[in-house]
Amino acid sequence: MKLSRRQFIKRTAALTAASLVGIELPKSMKDAAQAADVDSWKPGVCRFCGVGCRVYLGLKGGKPVAIKGIPESATNKGYVCMKGMLFYKIIHHPERLKKPLYRERKDQPFREISWEEALDIAAKKFAEAVKNHGPNSVAYYGSGQALTEETYIFQKVMRAGLRTNNVEGNPRLCMASAVGGYLTSFGADEPIGSYADIEKAYCFFIIGSNMAECHPVLFRRVMNRKLSKPDEVKVINADPRVSPTSRIADLHLQFRPGTDLALLNAMAYVIVEEGLYDETFIKKYCKFKLGKPPKDVSFEEYKEFLKQYTPERAAEICGGNITPEKIRTAARWFAKSKATMSLWTMGINQRVRGVWANNLIHNLHLLTGQLCKPGADSFSLTGQPNACGGVREGGGLCHILPAHRPVKIDKLRHEVEDLWGVPRGRIPAKPGYHTIAMFRAVNEGKIKAMWINCTSPAQSLPNCDFYRKGLRRDDVFIVVTDIFPTKTTEVANLVLPTAFHFEKTGVYGCTERRSQLTVKVIDPPGEAKPEVWIVREWALRLAKELNDPVIKKCVEPFIGLEEGYELPKAIWEEYSQKLTKGRDNDLSAVTYEVLKQRPDGVQWPAPTKEHALKGGTYKKFVRGIDPLADKHAKGDDPYVFYGPAHKDHKLYIWLRPYKGAAEEPDAEYPFFLSTGRVIDHWHTSSMTGRIPELLRANPYAYVEINPKDARRLGINPNDMVEIETRRGKIVLPAKVYEGPIEGMVFIYWHDMHEERMANRVTKDAFDPGSKEPEFKICACRIRKVSGPKPLRPYVVGHKM
Amino acid sequence: MPVAGLVICFIPEKLEEVKSSLSKVSGLEIHGWNDKGEMVVVYEGDTFEEMEKEVKEWPKKIEGVLSVNVAYFNVEDEVERIEKGEYVPERPWKE
Repeated sequence: MKLSRRQFIKRTAALTAASLVGIELPKSMKDAAQAADVDSWKPGVCRFCGVGCRVYLGLKGGKPVAIKGIPESATNKGYVCMKGMLFYKIIHHPERLKKPLYRERKDQPFREISWEEALDIAAKKFAEAVKNHGPNSVAYYGSGQALTEETYIFQKVMRAGLRTNNVEGNPRLCMASAVGGYLTSFGADEPIGSYADIEKAYCFFIIGSNMAECHPVLFRRVMNRKLSKPDEVKVINADPRVSPTSRIADLHLQFRPGTDLALLNAMAYVIVEEGLYDETFIKKYCKFKLGKPPKDVSFEEYKEFLKQYTPERAAEICGGNITPEKIRTAARWFAKSKATMSLWTMGINQRVRGVWANNLIHNLHLLTGQLCKPGADSFSLTGQPNACGGVREGGGLCHILPAHRPVKIDKLRHEVEDLWGVPRGRIPAKPGYHTIAMFRAVNEGKIKAMWINCTSPAQSLPNCDFYRKGLRRDDVFIVVTDIFPTKTTEVANLVLPTAFHFEKTGVYGCTERRSQLTVKVIDPPGEAKPEVWIVREWALRLAKELNDPVIKKCVEPFIGLEEGYELPKAIWEEYSQKLTKGRDNDLSAVTYEVLKQRPDGVQWPAPTKEHALKGGTYKKFVRGIDPLADKHAKGDDPYVFYGPAHKDHKLYIWLRPYKGAAEEPDAEYPFFLSTGRVIDHWHTSSMTGRIPELLRANPYAYVEINPKDARRLGINPNDMVEIETRRGKIVLPAKVYEGPIEGMVFIYWHDMHEERMANRVTKDAFDPGSKEPEFKICACRIRKVSGPKPLRPYVVGHKM
Repeated sequence: MPVAGLVICFIPEKLEEVKSSLSKVSGLEIHGWNDKGEMVVVYEGDTFEEMEKEVKEWPKKIEGVLSVNVAYFNVEDEVERIEKGEYVPERPWKE
């Protein structure tokens, strides 16, 4: 019987799904696989979150029409999620930016201009700022969604070309505290282990993360692990809000927002008091540290410190459903399990003491030796696809140069200058402005020209109304490179259309130190261009404007290269082979050729081709697995903690006291306000908000209110509720829901509508170490303003 | 009409309930399952919007369903309609 096209595609769908779980389908079904559902399947990595799912994009007649996960991939094992499936709609979307747009003043409409003209204007404006106001009057603000090649080349031109370290990016808003935590606890940034630990773990400690909605493909693996051994594998979920993640938890610790440090210290107290610690591990590998500058203290002093955090005392601080017994149970499960894996995201990082919170999670692993063995790790999840690879590793923050080199260390700075062939002293010794300082400098008129790439700070900064004032200034020239109009293109002078994923070539480095290549397979729409081309052409013009051959030198190796593949390849080669060689994130053997041979990329360190072709390093610091651990080894210890930030090669257990939020509820503003994501949207929704299905599923933001609070305030489901903080007011429909703890409301932050935009009310207090803002907590008051009201979803568009 | 190949994770003891509930979903075909609690289904809907809404409901509505995982997704019909100009992706928002 001849199959219809529909029947054929359905059989292909069944076979693909069946192959992932080893279910045999009848032979008649299998015959369907003989034909082809698409012309070709092109491998790449998903664009939407930090998990790094490897996907095949199916092309038919040159158009993307299908998608499937790559079964051999160590990240997603053949699965994708709703977000990943829908990017074909972004690729085909009629609102994509297709031509450079310009206006002299921000109250004028944009007009279309040529690339020649656009690049001339961008070069002239940046050159003018440098000439008249000095190098630090210009800035670059990038993204954890930009390719590594893009971040690397932008920061090279800014630092060595324009002589400023004003290089920042949105990872400052989401994972700077995780960086601070890893560096101060382990002496090296990024997780030691991998996703592969999930299948070997016996206890999951998930805190400050709704991974069921934010990292669904990874959460499936956690869930499968739990279901494979339901009695042996324990899941602890600690969060002030009950989320879909809590559903599989054996123990849900619901605490008052901002009391996490007390909870974590109390777990450590139990571990120490009940003798559940690993004395050998501590003696061999750890030191106890206190204060800044850090001084060594003894285990006895640490024990004394912990006495402030008995479970009884912590339960009082934490409130919610926390009892001393629950804390003891959590600590025992954590310490006694054969292997414990902690997982967290923004709930821990976006805190005014986010670094400390990270340290205290690491402490639990160090005390118990739940590290380096299979299934045991202290694992920070990333929100963006290339926050790790591009920004943390590629030099995308004001204080770090490529390959984890702090700006302020002369030797390392000179190393970079030498590798780039620019004169020593060219890169300033002082770090640039961190994100909040950078936008404050914009407000103060200190920044005269700013380039914003692939992100929308006008919406994503906390207390964004305050910073939009500066961005709207007519004496601040703003260039935005993006694929869609956003709240930030609304404050731009020059908007440059860029190529989207699969329309250009480059590398993403996901959460688990894994670099993956996506090669261009379709052309960008209209005149959209890859960023690497834009930067090169801009830099050549800057060199002329400023009559400075060193600027040209920054892009000299790349002149004339074809932009779709050869140009990013040459940039990647310079970065990986020159800059990372000999560093802890050694990618020197990870060429495009090697990446193309792997189904799922390579995990660093990967200093040799042989090691890279096997996939690189699953676990850092373990001899026999990590080639750098073997290289640095002096004795017979199985682990070698060679991280660049701890010269003594020790791990630090920190004495970090409990500290609450920067703004706690009081009589005037009696509620905690917290923000987060839902499954359908991602970040500022400039992409996901344009996909009708996702937008309809969650067309506007709402506020989650605990039923007890709602009853007390006379609020019914869908009533319009005003959220007021010291920064401003927004009005949203109510979702009365047993989610947030009593006394707390929760809103999601994707909505671009002015009336519902979360960051108009959040607070811009930040961690003094990591400079990451405390998005997760501030104080608010709420009141019902009316009954239910029909609402319109919102998306920005430029009126030409 | 989009076609999705899905793996549904369920509690093995609830197999009969899961099968019976899913068999009532229009456009859904069950192709097999294993004793670990994994079931292969193909789901075809009129619009992706309806499919997505329905899929999201299963873990809440159907006793025993834990998660719905996407392995394969084909939208060639929709892309063809966009190409021919028969279908312009709707702009559900108006400001």
